[in-house]
Amino acid sequence: MSAPTGRGSDARSGPGGAPVPRIDAYEKVTGATRYAADRTPPGLAHAALAVATVGRGRVARVETAAARAVAGVLLVVTRFEEHELRPAGYRLSGGYGFQSLQPLLDDRIAYRGQPIALVVAETPVAAAEAAALVEARYEAAPAVAVTLDAAGAETVGQAAALPQPMFADLAMGDADAAFARSPVRLDAEYDIGAQHQVPMELLGTVVEWRGDDLVVHECTQNSGAVRHGLARQLGIAPARVRVVSPQVGGGFGQKTWLQSHVGPLAVAARRLGRPVKLVVDRTQTFHGSTFRPASRHRLRLGADRSGLLTALVHETRQQTSRHDLFASDFTSVTARLYGIGDFRGHQRLTRTDVQTPGFMRAPFEHAAVFALESAVDEIACATGHDPVALRLANDTGSDPVTGRPFSSRHLAACLRRGAELFGWAARTPRPGSMRAADGTLVGWGVAAGAYRASAGPAVARLRLAADGRIAVEVSGHEMGQGLRTAIARTVALDLGISAGGVRVGVGDTGEVPQHLTAGSWGTATALPAVHAALRRLRSCLGAPDEGPLDTVAAAAERAAAGRPEAVVEAVSLPPGQSARAVDRLRAGLPTPAGPEYPGFSAFSFIAHFVEVRVEPAIGRVRVPRVVSVVDCGRVASPVTAAGQIRGGVVWGIGAALRERGEPEPRHGGFHHADLAEYLVPVNADVGRVDVDFVDVPDPLVNPLGVKGCGEVALVGVAPAIANAIHHATGRRHRALPIRVEDVLAPEDDRNGNCP
Amino acid sequence: MTDTATRPEHGPSAGDPLEVAFAVNGTAVRAAVDVRESLLDVLRERLALTGAKKGCDHGQCGTCTVLVDGRRVLACLTLAVQARGRAVTTVEGLAAPDGTPHPLQQAFIDHDALQCGYCTPGQIMSALACVAEGHAGDDEEIREYLSGNLCRCGAYPGIVAAVRDYADSARSTEG
Amino acid sequence: MRPFSYRAPATLAEAVAALADGGPGARPLAGGTSLYDLMKLGVEAPSAVVDIGRLPELAGFDTAGPEELVFGAGASMADVAEDAVLRADYPALAESLAKAASPQVRNMATVGGNLLQRTRCGYFRGGPAFDCAKRRPGSGCAARGGLDRGHAVLGTSDACTAAYPGDWAVALLAFDARLDLYGPRGARTIALADLHRGPADAPHEEHTLGAGELVVRIRVPTAPAGRGSVYHKVRDRESFAFALASAAVALTLDERGRVAHCRVALGGVATRPWRAEAAERAVVGGPLTEEAAVRAGEAAFADARPGAHNAFKVRLGARVVARALRTAAERAAGRAVA
Repeated sequence: MSAPTGRGSDARSGPGGAPVPRIDAYEKVTGATRYAADRTPPGLAHAALAVATVGRGRVARVETAAARAVAGVLLVVTRFEEHELRPAGYRLSGGYGFQSLQPLLDDRIAYRGQPIALVVAETPVAAAEAAALVEARYEAAPAVAVTLDAAGAETVGQAAALPQPMFADLAMGDADAAFARSPVRLDAEYDIGAQHQVPMELLGTVVEWRGDDLVVHECTQNSGAVRHGLARQLGIAPARVRVVSPQVGGGFGQKTWLQSHVGPLAVAARRLGRPVKLVVDRTQTFHGSTFRPASRHRLRLGADRSGLLTALVHETRQQTSRHDLFASDFTSVTARLYGIGDFRGHQRLTRTDVQTPGFMRAPFEHAAVFALESAVDEIACATGHDPVALRLANDTGSDPVTGRPFSSRHLAACLRRGAELFGWAARTPRPGSMRAADGTLVGWGVAAGAYRASAGPAVARLRLAADGRIAVEVSGHEMGQGLRTAIARTVALDLGISAGGVRVGVGDTGEVPQHLTAGSWGTATALPAVHAALRRLRSCLGAPDEGPLDTVAAAAERAAAGRPEAVVEAVSLPPGQSARAVDRLRAGLPTPAGPEYPGFSAFSFIAHFVEVRVEPAIGRVRVPRVVSVVDCGRVASPVTAAGQIRGGVVWGIGAALRERGEPEPRHGGFHHADLAEYLVPVNADVGRVDVDFVDVPDPLVNPLGVKGCGEVALVGVAPAIANAIHHATGRRHRALPIRVEDVLAPEDDRNGNCP
Repeated sequence: MTDTATRPEHGPSAGDPLEVAFAVNGTAVRAAVDVRESLLDVLRERLALTGAKKGCDHGQCGTCTVLVDGRRVLACLTLAVQARGRAVTTVEGLAAPDGTPHPLQQAFIDHDALQCGYCTPGQIMSALACVAEGHAGDDEEIREYLSGNLCRCGAYPGIVAAVRDYADSARSTEG
Repeated sequence: MRPFSYRAPATLAEAVAALADGGPGARPLAGGTSLYDLMKLGVEAPSAVVDIGRLPELAGFDTAGPEELVFGAGASMADVAEDAVLRADYPALAESLAKAASPQVRNMATVGGNLLQRTRCGYFRGGPAFDCAKRRPGSGCAARGGLDRGHAVLGTSDACTAAYPGDWAVALLAFDARLDLYGPRGARTIALADLHRGPADAPHEEHTLGAGELVVRIRVPTAPAGRGSVYHKVRDRESFAFALASAAVALTLDERGRVAHCRVALGGVATRPWRAEAAERAVVGGPLTEEAAVRAGEAAFADARPGAHNAFKVRLGARVVARALRTAAERAAGRAVA
């Protein structure tokens, strides 16, 4: 592969322009930003949910008299009629819901925490009081299965259960034979517990009927799916539904599909003739939407004595629900992180009594790369090679799956630059050989990561107002990743104007069609549409195709000529997609392309370097510093991209050391369902995080050279931490999270040796 | 003598609304509240002050942090009636009347100490108190004394930088 | 949450009368961080709430007296944690407060109310899906054979293994603290050690206060062991988390460096603030070597009865005790503390 020519720019000096601060920061620091639940239309009523207390079975009877008797209660619904509410369908079956099951339509209970009643009242306290008074009698199943190993959990092969090419098992060469003849072999199993996205914003919805039209303020990363899903549920035309989601208080995958409380809320609002708000109780959010399912990975990784990786067999098992198959895709990243010619993957799904799991930041890559990068570290130890050098030696310029080139791949640059910034050369390889001044064990670990560079179709509409200001409406959602800033900066750099003068609208189905904004494709999807719209605007104004454009003068000229404001619209498509993808976009259906495009494959890459301090006597692990270097193509918005990477590192600390979705094996559901028990990192858990970008435009994925960065930021953090702990203590940890009891030295001999 | 400003002589019976008077951002307010209502719900649903956010409603996340008589507290675990006679400050009360952000708010902008922005009002109110309490001596102390405010986006490094910056300038202004 | 009547009396006497008026369903509300939280969960459902947050008799604290430290029950955890005398002369007390909860919670919560904080057991807080003898006497214990990683290994009974969650009471236990109470039958004083009940067969009876009786103040005799004290807390996060295991140690050394006096109390591992007398006996009279500290830690957990997922607390707790002893000895000897 060619050496990168990156500028090594820091976050505040992106190429081709001055740093652009987050354009919506002022509103956010002054409390002016309105999130969905901040809406208080006149006449607003408040809703609450009552949920099932058994893990599986059916509701025999729901007693609502006490709830109805509460002062201020307007409505208690335990069952909606089929003519007023239909299922929205599961997203993998052409529907719009995060799961196929729509609560409050029948008596089935599939998981603890499933709604059994919707209460609407004049005030939030009255609604909550009444919901707590709803009592149900159940016919509970004798047992529930909520873990991968539970009796009664059923395991199916994914390729057989979902016979579509995208779910097929990957195989190149003869991995089993190659593994068998490899001189160095590792055969290990890795466990990754369930996790919850827990964005700080609670699931919140305000629904309001305006005549026959429904307006929904919803915190969602996918207002298009909410619109079309609601239209299907309510039996009305999608044009009658407007979903508005301009600012989301964190998504991380939790808000990617229609939540099952929204349809019931819309029916309740119609019955009452009043707007209704529901803010889902935090504990209920642990069952009211998706989660990262538990997964188990068996890796057989072979190498020769020189440290060249020769074979990889990656067999996986992932939790899904009893009622839906949430397909996994662990192997498309492990097959490509290194140039391993002989690869075999096999993916299975285990049905359990939970709500259907779903996407959570780096949905498969986080777990898959934890397994692979832990194993690679073991190979480095076993062959006596430096972990960075071994990774560099196994780099590849072409995609092992397709044989075609990567559009760009600067993983080696990430590793080299990271090692330099971190001071890796000072590392002594023997575990337990480095100590801090206070006597704690020091461990340095490294891991790489990759994430597919996807993109989809998008629509952008640009308007040049009479005062010369530019307004742009784009397909996409702002969850804090900085999409609006990247859009404003793109417009500003193109026209030579100030980013502050660009008004950016996103997430509103009343403006342009809205896609699912996830999978790190948001920026690479929206910016090409903005880019195309800018070309249209220039053409419409008779301006040259590039160079500064005096928008004030252009607007004045148009006004003087008696012409209306200039409004242009453009549609963009990623390489290889046809106009049919735009039809899917307009229907609220997912349309991402990648990582395989005609003639090339596209991924973002990252290298993380981590220092840990370990006190084995009490099981304490701290992470005082991390260095992360990213190849995400051209950095579209340096300030917000750096924030994304730092946030991904914090997520990695949480995933490696803190967070564990705890299924209750006898009662079903998740037990640690609040923010005191489900432990996300606090400020004191995070030390110094240094971020750098290779910042070389990708020549193929889109005209702006932009790949994604939000997901890849997390990929590899957890194994870098686990590898660092091994370096500190000599002990391998193959299950996440790594907690006090895991690190607690079993006896005084705490410095193990390399395997 | 019981607090006659807020209740009749023999105490209200359960469920009756109670009138409560306090100040918010320098303005006197008076509201008839259900005694069960939190200060957070009253701010958000009755007074249209939606800057303070609900992230857990159980004192576990800090997004609802406001100042009461200058001290940082959790509005979700404060009964609205407990605020009687108090001065409440929310994030809406920090910027100058002309919209100029408070120096701490500006520091959050300068250091990009936020992403989705949902926890930001709570972070800022908490940080303001943290500095006033004298708990912003170094990065480690800032981290510890801002650990009551979760940020799921992971903007902690920027938050610490912003608070350090603001604390340094506040100290140098004091001379 | 069920409706309740709310009263905000102006004096302690009125408060006690109001609590008596309210009957068995009446609850005092000080900081509110625990009670209001549990009311939202439906675990507490008082018919009457008596706001004692502004009672002058409960306010303030004094650490300057020659014979005792006096803490009004209504003083905030934050204010007490910040006290310069406490930080210098009784670091275990200051640390136990500073390491509890978050700055916001410490501003709201009181040092009296904190003593009576209820367990964090998920089956207790989780509501009607689970059996819990604290919530519904006699209904059993869902934690037995369940997810009990955070639960107690000391002082458990068949009816309940829920851990006492607080830090402050643990530290106070190392200092012979006493409580002044006031209730319908007047004033009395009890030892802090007599405040909390173990679960036995009635886990819902968590303390020995009479009906309508309030903690008015906490008194701690001044003690030279204060300077030789530490509160060591291990938790799942670096901050804002409950103890997996904690130890308060207060000790003095004689002129030859031998332990003259020693108190050890444990948190996070027991059903109530737990005095570890076996650990104390193990170190008194000898130098506090690493070996002695380890032996004392092991002695503290000799009677431990772990559940399904918390066996690690025995090993962890013993080491926490050992480390706390060593740190306390360093402090007592006036050496720099790492």
